[in-house]
This record gives sequence, C-alpha cells and structure tokens, in this order.
Amino acid sequence: MAEKPRPLHDKVWSKLDRKATAILELTLRQYRTRLSTWAVLSVGVILVLITVLFYIEAMNSEIEAVDNDGDSVDSDGDGYPDGQENLLGTSMNNANSHPGLFDPPIPPDSAEDWINEDGYDFSSAKLGTSQGYDDDGDCRVKIGEVGWSSWVDENRNNISCDYFFEMRGFDLEVIADPNVDEDPDEDAYFKETLHRSFVLGFGKIGFVFVLGIFVPLFLASGLIRDEIADGTLHYLVAKPISRAEILLYRLLGYVALVWPYFIALAVITGIITGFMGPSDGFFRFQDLLVWFGIALAACLLSLAYAALFMTMGTIHKYGMVAAIVFGVWEFAMAMLSIFEPEATVSRLSISHWGMVIVDGFSNMAWPDSQYLIALGESTSRSSDSPWGERIYSDGMPGTEAFSSFFHTTDLTGNPLQDALIASGVLISMVIIMLVIAQSVFKNKEID
Amino acid sequence: MMPDIAQTGQVAGERLPQAEVPAVMLEQVSKWYGNIIGMNDISLAISGGVTGLLGPNGAGKSTLFKILAGKLKPSQGTVRLFGIDPWKNTAPFARIGYVSENDALYDWMTALEFVTTLARLYGYTREEARVKAERVLEFVDLKDVMHKEIGKFSKGMRQRVKIAHALVNDPELIILDEPLQGCDPLARTTIMNVIRELGAMGRTVIISSHILEEIERITEQIVILNHGRLLALGNVHAIRDMLDAHPHSIALSTDRPRELGKAFLDHKEVFGVHFPEEGKLIIRTHNLGALHADLPQLITDSGFSVTAIDNPDDNLESILTYLTGGGD
Amino acid sequence: MEADENPNLPDAEFLGQTGAKVEGQTRLEAAYGSGDGDEQSIPSASVAGGTKQHEQAHLGTVFDQSYQSWGGSLNPRWARNWAILRHHVYGLFSKGHRPYGIATKLILFAAFLISLGDLGMSFISAIFSETEMHRVFGVSKDNLYGHVLGFWPRNAICFPIIAALLIGGIISEDRTHGTSAIYFSRPLNRIDYTAMKFLSVAIVLFMLIVGTLGIYYTGDILMQGEGWAFFLDTLPIFLGAALAGTILVFTYSSIGLALSSVSRGKFFPAVALLGIFLGMKLIAFLIYVLFERSVLYLLSPYDCVAHVGQALVGTTSTYDHPWTWSLMSLVVINAIALYILASRVSSMEVTRE
Repeated sequence: MAEKPRPLHDKVWSKLDRKATAILELTLRQYRTRLSTWAVLSVGVILVLITVLFYIEAMNSEIEAVDNDGDSVDSDGDGYPDGQENLLGTSMNNANSHPGLFDPPIPPDSAEDWINEDGYDFSSAKLGTSQGYDDDGDCRVKIGEVGWSSWVDENRNNISCDYFFEMRGFDLEVIADPNVDEDPDEDAYFKETLHRSFVLGFGKIGFVFVLGIFVPLFLASGLIRDEIADGTLHYLVAKPISRAEILLYRLLGYVALVWPYFIALAVITGIITGFMGPSDGFFRFQDLLVWFGIALAACLLSLAYAALFMTMGTIHKYGMVAAIVFGVWEFAMAMLSIFEPEATVSRLSISHWGMVIVDGFSNMAWPDSQYLIALGESTSRSSDSPWGERIYSDGMPGTEAFSSFFHTTDLTGNPLQDALIASGVLISMVIIMLVIAQSVFKNKEID
Repeated sequence: MMPDIAQTGQVAGERLPQAEVPAVMLEQVSKWYGNIIGMNDISLAISGGVTGLLGPNGAGKSTLFKILAGKLKPSQGTVRLFGIDPWKNTAPFARIGYVSENDALYDWMTALEFVTTLARLYGYTREEARVKAERVLEFVDLKDVMHKEIGKFSKGMRQRVKIAHALVNDPELIILDEPLQGCDPLARTTIMNVIRELGAMGRTVIISSHILEEIERITEQIVILNHGRLLALGNVHAIRDMLDAHPHSIALSTDRPRELGKAFLDHKEVFGVHFPEEGKLIIRTHNLGALHADLPQLITDSGFSVTAIDNPDDNLESILTYLTGGGD
Repeated sequence: MEADENPNLPDAEFLGQTGAKVEGQTRLEAAYGSGDGDEQSIPSASVAGGTKQHEQAHLGTVFDQSYQSWGGSLNPRWARNWAILRHHVYGLFSKGHRPYGIATKLILFAAFLISLGDLGMSFISAIFSETEMHRVFGVSKDNLYGHVLGFWPRNAICFPIIAALLIGGIISEDRTHGTSAIYFSRPLNRIDYTAMKFLSVAIVLFMLIVGTLGIYYTGDILMQGEGWAFFLDTLPIFLGAALAGTILVFTYSSIGLALSSVSRGKFFPAVALLGIFLGMKLIAFLIYVLFERSVLYLLSPYDCVAHVGQALVGTTSTYDHPWTWSLMSLVVINAIALYILASRVSSMEVTRE
C-alpha cells in the first residue's frame, strides 16, 4: 500500500484504448438489456422483409403483354395475323390474300407471336450509337403499289431502321426511324426498371431515410440523456477521462451496434435482389456497387444523426422537443430530395447528402439509366417514339417510378466525385456536431 | 488527525506518506443558483484521516461534494484537489474515489461486472481491473454475492457496492456523500468499520452524514456547515470547549433530586438546576471543568445515592443544535 | 445515552385478547409517551372510558384493532373525473395545473395558427373579393377534407408533432415519478383514470383539428355571406369531415396513449408515434410507387383514416382497395392500442415502479 503519490500529468490522455473499449462494451451491454433496442431493430428487419416479399412477388409475376402496334389482330379473318401478312407482303384486309397461298405454304403464326415481337433490344454497350432492330420487319416505306423500300432513315443518321439518343435542351430524346421496336417486351423492360427502382427507392426511402433517421432517434438520443435521467452519469464523469472522450466512445458503442446491422441488412437484401432480379447471368454483380453505396449512405447518415441527437440529448431542457421538430423537418427535406432533387434548400438537411451518395453510386453502376428512362418516356409522345407509341400515356410501365427515384448527381459531373464529396460533408457534419457536443457537455453541471 | 478513542480497530497496514499538497483545498468558494446561495465563502483544507461533514438539510454539504467531484462549477473561488481544479481537468480523479448520495446503479450488472467495468475507466486492463475488483469487493464483504445482479441487492449491499467502486483504484482521497443513508444497523456497522480502516491507513476520507452518533464513533475531526457557511472546523471536543457561552449540563440520576439540587446550588459555578422528571437532576454550569473536579466531593458530602452521571450535551447533536440556532 | 440500563423500566407485558381497545386518544398518548429510547420516560396510556378493564399500557402493548369503513360521502364520480381532466387540460394555459414546457405550448399555439391557415386565405379572398382565389380556398369538399386529412403539410408535419408532444409523458410520467400512487390510492377507478387522460389529449387535438374546421366553415360562410341554402347543402360534407377528424383524433390518442403506457420516458412514446404514423405511411407509399400495390396502406393508420374520410366526405378515393377494408383495419389498430393501454394501466403498481 505504500507507494509514492502517482504523477498526474499524463493521467487523462493515456491508455485511451482501454477506456474506449470499456465504455464501448458498457454501451453495447446497455443496449442489449434495453427493450427499445430490440423493438426498433426487429421492426426494421420486419419492414425490410415485408418490402422484399413484395419485390419477390413482383419479380415472379408477369405483367400483361400488350400488343402495342396492334399487329396480332387478324383484320381480314384469314387466320394470319396482320403483322405476319404485312411482313410477307400479303394484304391485311383481304381474306383471300394470305401466305398460305405461297409455294410452299407458310403456316400461320399464332397471335401471341405478334405481341411484344420486338423484344428487348436495349443495349447499354451501345449508348452513344445506334440502337434498335426492327424485329418484325415493319420498318419499310411503300414504294408504288408493290414495292417496299428497305432503306428507311428518317432520323438521318445514315443507318436504316434504328434509333439513337440525343440531348435536346435539358432532356435526353430518342430520335427514331418509324416502326422500329414499336412493340417491345414490356415485361422485360418493366422488370429491369422495377428492379432498379426497387433498389433505389427502397435504398433511399427505406434504408437511408426511414431506418437512417429512426434508428438513431431511438438509440442515440439516449446515449447521454438516459444516463442523466437515471442518475448514473457521475460514474462516467468523475473519472480521469475527459468528457469529450465519453461522448466519442458512447458514439462508438452506438456505431458498433448499428453499422453491422445496416451492413447485414444491405447484404441480405442485395443478395436476394441480385439473384431474383433480371440478369444475363445468375447474379447481378453490377448491383453490388449500388448496395455498397446504400450501406455507406445509411451508415454515415445514421452516424451524423446520432451525433446530432446525442448533442440534443445533452441539452436537457428543450433538446428533445428540438429533436422531434428536427426529425420532421428532415422527413420533409428527404421527400423533397427524392422527388425534387434540384431544390437547393434540401442541401441544408443531412438526409440530402445521404441521397447524393446513393445517387453517385447508382450512376456509377448503371450509367445507362437515363437512356432507359428516355426510352420509356418517349412512348408518351406521339412522334419519334420507337416503343409502344399508341398505348402508354404515362410512359412504359415502370418508367415513372424509375424516373422519380433515379437522379444524376449535379455537384460536379463525376458521380464518384459527388459521392465522395457527400461522404465528406457527412463526416464533417459529424465532426462539427461532436465539437459542439463536447463543448456543451464540458460546461454542463450535473446535479 | 487521530482516530476516535472509542474505536477498537487497529491501525492496519502502513500509513501513506504525507503529501505536500493538501488533498482538498477550497478557497473562498461560493456557489449560487439564481438567488439561492448554496455555498457561501467557504475556505478549508483537508488532508489525511477521516473528516466528518455535518449540517442540517440545505447546509450545502451535497453542493460541496458535487463541487469536489467536478459535477458542479463554483460560482466564485478556487477548488483544488491535489492541486488541480477538478472542473477543468479530470486528472485528479485517478487518485479519488467518490460515492454519491444518488442511489442509481446499473441494476442489470452483477457487482463484479460493475466494479470491473468502471475500474477499466482508470486505465487498467481487463485482467487488472478484475483482480482489483475482486479484492475490493472482498474488502467490503461482498465476496460471496459478487456474481449476483445489483438489482437484487439490499440497500446496504448497494451502498457497499458503491463504496467498493470508489475504492477500486486505491484512492488517496475518498469522498462519501451520505454513505449510511437507508442502511440497516448491520450494514451500517460494516460500512463504518470500512471507513475507519481507511482512515487508519492514512487516506483522506470525507464523509457526510445525518447520523451523528455514528460520525462520532468514526472520527473526531468535523466540519460544520449551515446555510452554506462554515460554522466550525476541527476536533469535536475542542469545539465544545470553545463554546463557553453555551452552558454545560450535568445530568444526575438520583432518588432525591430536589435535595441534591439544593446542595449544588451553593456551588459558585452552578447557575441553575433543573428537574426534567422524576428521579433526574440537571445542573447547569459555565465551567464544566471546575464542577467536574468538585462533583465527587459534593455528592459524597450530600449523602444521597446517585445512580448515573452524564454529560448530555457533550455530543455532536447538541453542538449542532446550538450552532445552527436550534438551541437549548 | 444509557437509557436501556435503567432498572426502573418495567418488563413488556403481553396483553393478548384482553388488550386495551384503541381509541384515538389512547393511541396519541402512547405515541407521545414512547420516546426514541434516549429518555427515561415511561409511557402510560389510559383507556378513555367505555371498557371494563382499565389497563396501564406500557411499552410492548398489543392493541386490538377494529376497522370501520368510512361512512362519509364522496364527491360524485364526475366531479373526481373532472378534476383529472381539468388538471391536464388547464395546464396548457394556466399555472397550478399540469405543467407543460414552454416549447410545447408555443408549438401548440403555432399549430393552431397553421390550422387556421385556410381560413386566413379565405379571409383575404373575401376582403379583396377575389372569386378565383376563393374558389381555391373556400369551403368545398376537397378543402373540408383537406383541412383535417390533407397529408401535406398538416398530417405530415403539424398534427404528428402536436400529437407526439401531447402524449409524450401522459402516462409514462406517472410511472417514472411514482405519482400513480397518488391517483390509485384515491377512490378512483383505473378506467376513469385512463379515460380522463385519453380525453384530455383528445380534447386538445379535437380543438386543434376539428375545432378549427368548424371555425373555418362558419367563418367562410359568414365572410362570403352565403345563405342558408349553402349551409344546408354543405352541412353533410362538414359533418362528414368532422367525423373523419374525430376518428383521426381518436386514433392518434389511442396509439399515443398505448405507447406512453408502455414506456417510462417522455421521448420514446413521442418518437414511436411519429415512427408509426410517418414511417408506415412512407413505406406503404414506397410499395405503392414501386409495385402498385396499395394493400400496405392498411397498416398505415393515417392512410386508413384518410381513406375512411374520403368515403365520408365523398371525395375521390386515392386508394385501390375498398374503404371498408380501411375501416376494418382502423378498428383493429385501435383495438390493439386500447388493449395494450388497458392491460398496462391495470397492471400499474400503486407504488413507484
């Protein structure tokens, strides 16, 4: 027991790792004993499961095939669909003229063969150049009474029967030769856009926003406030450990619980959708980049919110009212960010930057998305629409959802840079918040 | 500071060498909340042994302790623990153990886990912390229940857990805010023994309590506060002596109080006699020493039988009552 | 100090069945007589008449206990309930009742002003005789519906915040501070306790949601100088909207109180309420946008009420499923909330938990 008095000068900023792990473990164990932790986390899992179930059901069902150009109908009642008669040169309106009279006679196609006969020809490899293929052979111009010109180039790109993309003003437009890909396979288009919309929409709204704000609201605001309310804060404060450290390590404890949770949920959902989504192989590997972005955005956003709510929790009096009001403000701003990305007021909110991260990574993974959207939307215009011009007034099924969830990033031109900038903004918000929190906390008297 | 003569414990272990810097030093410290003054210009230095901090409710005892623990900031004045201001720098807490009057604990932890986890905040490794925790839990006599959850502990056991947690880093200064509150007599005895032992080891212990008899049994060094002001400081008996203006009383139990009282009235140091009830006589004097010297002779001369002699007001309670304006 | 060594103290006597009967006076004397052990007093209690045996009751007596229920009269039940209600509601605007924070009161006042926003617009259009503007903001099916059930901004921001602030500590504070002991040790039913707390929240919400609807309706009619024909025409719509608003208030209150009875703090119930209303709405909306399936709206309380409200007021339905399903779902949600509330309150301890 006889030791000389211990030196004091190095006592606080030493052995940080031991103190850090001690507080981290304490925080984790506290979370484990609280019912609210389990309730919140399991509600999150249930919500994710419900949405994934809807996704699986949608992917397993086919949307109704629509004959956009109407050539599956047999106008003259001779047993041959109009499209087949048109292709082979017989008259669509004359029952006595049909390919059955050829030598050798050509059997009639069924009506289903002439629905969605143009297939899904969109190729992301050929974005800048010509696309499209006239599968049903109706891209022809009649010459005289019997002849057909096979060279049709109304879009003046010296390629017959194709279409290409061009920026006109702010919109990406489809410039097409007539009757090219006018009866596409809606289901294929829909599945692809639905899959991407799901990943983006669920990633942004479900993950980054709903989970990203409610999980910290429940779990992080009590990090200091509960200790004050329970009266156990002095056990942490009257120790040779600075108050800033206490805040930092408590936040680290929160991170140790919540980040693996988000990452696990993202991985599971990513794997399920990767297998169930439309792909050439057995798994959509290009989606992994998007899911990485979603997980990154969710982790950073929840950390930023956690720092904010922890700070509000230390300002005991009106902190919690402020947290509720702020939460609702963020809700509004996130909605604005998703549906009106150009609105600059949303840059004031934290959630906006999370959305930018997701946007950046999705632009990197799916650079052809804008073209896909332009294609789908071009069906609502009457001219120059290669796809389904007569049926869809709102664009192809799936286009609307996709266009509302997919945005390009508009900070710099480069999506990777934008994502990095947004991550930097979030991290600096966390640091600023922690600085404010520790100065508030350092001056706080504990009764 | 010498321990009270009523103690029966031996001095255990060696004494710590006396540090040059006093463990606790307050200079003209005041603390106010709006218009209410919690502490009013208090200056004192405490070092070594057990010091009792006394005062009625609202005297500022808890405020003083919270300022020492770095939970509150003094509105005026300087506080130094081992020479360092605890509000700005938490370094001195490596040598301090603090038991708050707040009863909150982590009820879901076992006693060992609780002490171990908080010990690690001093910078010990897991192993070191566990060894120290076990040792200190044995010191407070909680060894056989240290794997039970604190939520299931009785009040006395909870107090002992708090004390154990305060002792785990071998502190040189131990601050105990109402450690005996709510404890049953058995727990009180255990805790008091612990405190006495600590004081005997040479550590500085500051303890506040309402239970005056037990403070008296632990220590003779006291600090008395009232309405935030420092009223008295030092050895209990010395303080009592200084209170000359306060008349002393001697209580005698006898079967003939009135006759005995008449005998005493002739003594020049006696200014009053008082008969509170049947068979009891209280003699009032300003000069206790002189009267004590003559007392045996007077009694034998009178010839009456006296069954008990007592100094009813040479205790903390009456000092406190007198000083704080209760008054006899 | 050595009182226990006094040989004059008699032994304790056990009087058993023949013990002295306790009357008020006897007990007082015994209490005064028995000190804390320091004095030498010998307490004596003499029985104040009425019994055959007069005993000296010394320290150590056992008294015969006979309890009689109080035969006095209580205030009528409604008076006691009114006291609880008054305590909670008056606390919003006067001292001496349940304290609400200044932030809460300010936000409630701001919500009141926001709710009257459409009346303000209607007023402006009346002053400047702008018929175009009045067509947009005046009384109509859509506007009456929108006043109580429009999502943006009322049900997205305004109403959830005020509901969250009101129900935050309403039952949980009693659990934390132990003031439930004060309530339950009085002649109060637990049903009354719960009902009055429920009513206190519901009344404030009703004033802010449906009360302002009434103000808007009458204000607009008066300002436009519409006649009785207009009033009779629009009265069913107004009543439909008022009923829908009441259902909304009821749902907010039941879910909110259920959450408050489950937790101990003020914060968790408030945030959970926001989470349930806004979060479920958002998830259901997401599913609808992606998969065009509106069935998940059945889990979102706001959407169920909105759907029923659309049916009541007669505006176009924005959901694909029949409104009776929403009504069923609403009934189920409220039933679950009330069940949780009832079971938590009935198991609340009289002492501090």
